[in-house]
Amino acid sequence: MDPWKLPISSAIQRKRLLSQSYTSHASASPSDLACADRASDVIYLLLIEPQVITSKFSVFSFLFVIGAQNAWDILLEEESMTRITTSCAELDKILGGGISCKEVTEIGGVPGIGKTQLGIQLAVNVQIPSYYGGLGGKAIYIDTEGSFMVERVLQIAEACTEDMTEYGRFLGKSIQARQVEMGPKDFLENIYYFRVCSYTEQIGLENYLDKFISEHRDVKIVVIDSVAFQFRQDFDDLAQRTRVLSAMALKLMKLAKKFSLAVVLLNQVTTKVIESSFQLALALGDSWSHSCTNRLILYWNGEERYAYIDKSPSLRSASAPYSVTSRGIRNSSSNS
Amino acid sequence: MDRCLAGGIPCESITEIVAESGSGKTQLCLQLALLAQLPPSLGGLSASSIYLHSEFPFPTRRLHQLAAQFHAHHLQDLIATGRDQRYDPMDGILVQSIHTADQLLDIMPQTESFLQNSQTQFPVRLIVIDSIAALFRSDFDNTSIDLMKRSSLFFKISGKLKSLASRFRLAVVVTNQVVDYVGDGMNGLKIGNLEELYSSGRRVCPALGLAWSNCVNSRLFLSREEDEKANNCSVERSEEDGGFGSRTTRRWLHLVFAPHLAPSSCEFVIRREGISGVDR
Repeated sequence: MDPWKLPISSAIQRKRLLSQSYTSHASASPSDLACADRASDVIYLLLIEPQVITSKFSVFSFLFVIGAQNAWDILLEEESMTRITTSCAELDKILGGGISCKEVTEIGGVPGIGKTQLGIQLAVNVQIPSYYGGLGGKAIYIDTEGSFMVERVLQIAEACTEDMTEYGRFLGKSIQARQVEMGPKDFLENIYYFRVCSYTEQIGLENYLDKFISEHRDVKIVVIDSVAFQFRQDFDDLAQRTRVLSAMALKLMKLAKKFSLAVVLLNQVTTKVIESSFQLALALGDSWSHSCTNRLILYWNGEERYAYIDKSPSLRSASAPYSVTSRGIRNSSSNS
Repeated sequence: MDRCLAGGIPCESITEIVAESGSGKTQLCLQLALLAQLPPSLGGLSASSIYLHSEFPFPTRRLHQLAAQFHAHHLQDLIATGRDQRYDPMDGILVQSIHTADQLLDIMPQTESFLQNSQTQFPVRLIVIDSIAALFRSDFDNTSIDLMKRSSLFFKISGKLKSLASRFRLAVVVTNQVVDYVGDGMNGLKIGNLEELYSSGRRVCPALGLAWSNCVNSRLFLSREEDEKANNCSVERSEEDGGFGSRTTRRWLHLVFAPHLAPSSCEFVIRREGISGVDR
């Protein structure tokens, strides 16, 4: 049956069928159905020729296993999904336990608020072994600005080691017996550091990440600090920049889902003119703001640093205070 | 001051020094350009520096004075690095004047090939730009288009400097001016741990705005205050000082933000031999 004659509402869908080379129903073999990229394409085919369903029923049921999940499975998966602690109890509370894996989280704030500090803290905390409640994974840190200072990472790693030892003592000797002591040096060794100096390098690196992580399966977090810097230089065509950024965001989301890791993007703040008054907004524009699953905004409230959940599919909007200490990100000191 | 900065100015990053005029930015930069020539054991880089200046005239006489003091004080250390007895520290500072931001961008490729191809025993490891604000003063109006153009220039310049810093392991020091705090819009935005920046009794903010703040890795703020001290033994009032007692200028270095340091401050003085901290 010629797709052109089919009672399909829109011309676009007809064109789609044609573009998939389904010129007649006979040409839709079971293998074609199995290879259809989208369930919607399969449904169109099945609407055309109901006989296809009955005769190819076994293929049909097989199809729903590929790539498709039911919501119950997703719920069970989500409950077992671990989160990366931020070392600040208040912040963890509003995040539902910490930064979630399998999702892209954007963190933005003014210079000096602690974005890099939070990024480094997460890159260290992802390595906390599972018997301390962590993920025991490794980290990739992509530095586009040169803010990654190794002495600071060492300081944070040392504090983390001390905290872990004290926690182990608190839990009792049974844990200590089987633990392998993780020292600050091990923490540093488990952070894969990349420095990029132009936006082309940044895009190239992101394309390479898939291969790299396939070879280093224990990477559980990718931090990009900051995602905006290289893109705020002169882009002749802003539409091109938007396209490039969207493609990048899509790739990162796929990466997060495929390898079950957390992607954390640190972003800068810029001024936006709204109705002739200045307001603060995150850099990279409005279309970029749709690209991340979660968004955390860091801001000053008087003398204190606060984090605010600006966007999240599952968490409610809330603020929490935190502080940056010599040991890293910690609870705000004014809290009891 | 080194204690405040956990060792000093870091390499492979851009450190910005913000201050009003007459606070000692240029003094500090000249001093850094000389100190970079010392061996690492004394806190130097055994290196030469490139000094790009946009404010005129260049303080040649002051540099000469500082260099002479430096040479006298550190002769043995300089010889230990392999330099000649008759070495003039001013030879280790390459000075270039720049007038506009476009010119600064234009000399980047030149600088890059210079850094790549120079065969000297003492390669350049420090770039000073004094000041970045003067480059942007005249060319840009207050329209949003011009401000956007200006912003993208910030990121271009900063991106290029950071790339050079990372590739050749340089320290980059940039000085910036201050503007008065106006109280509306973005002027009062809190950046870094210091609530407000005060100098000479008035509230100020760094020039070039939020966009430029995103381009630097660390920011130092130099402030000065006129300290009126009552003169203990003055019974008669002299005509000279109008009877107000002696006035001294006190100067502070504040760390506004840095990726590896907690905020701190320390006092310093500017003497004939240069800048030195005050232990109080």
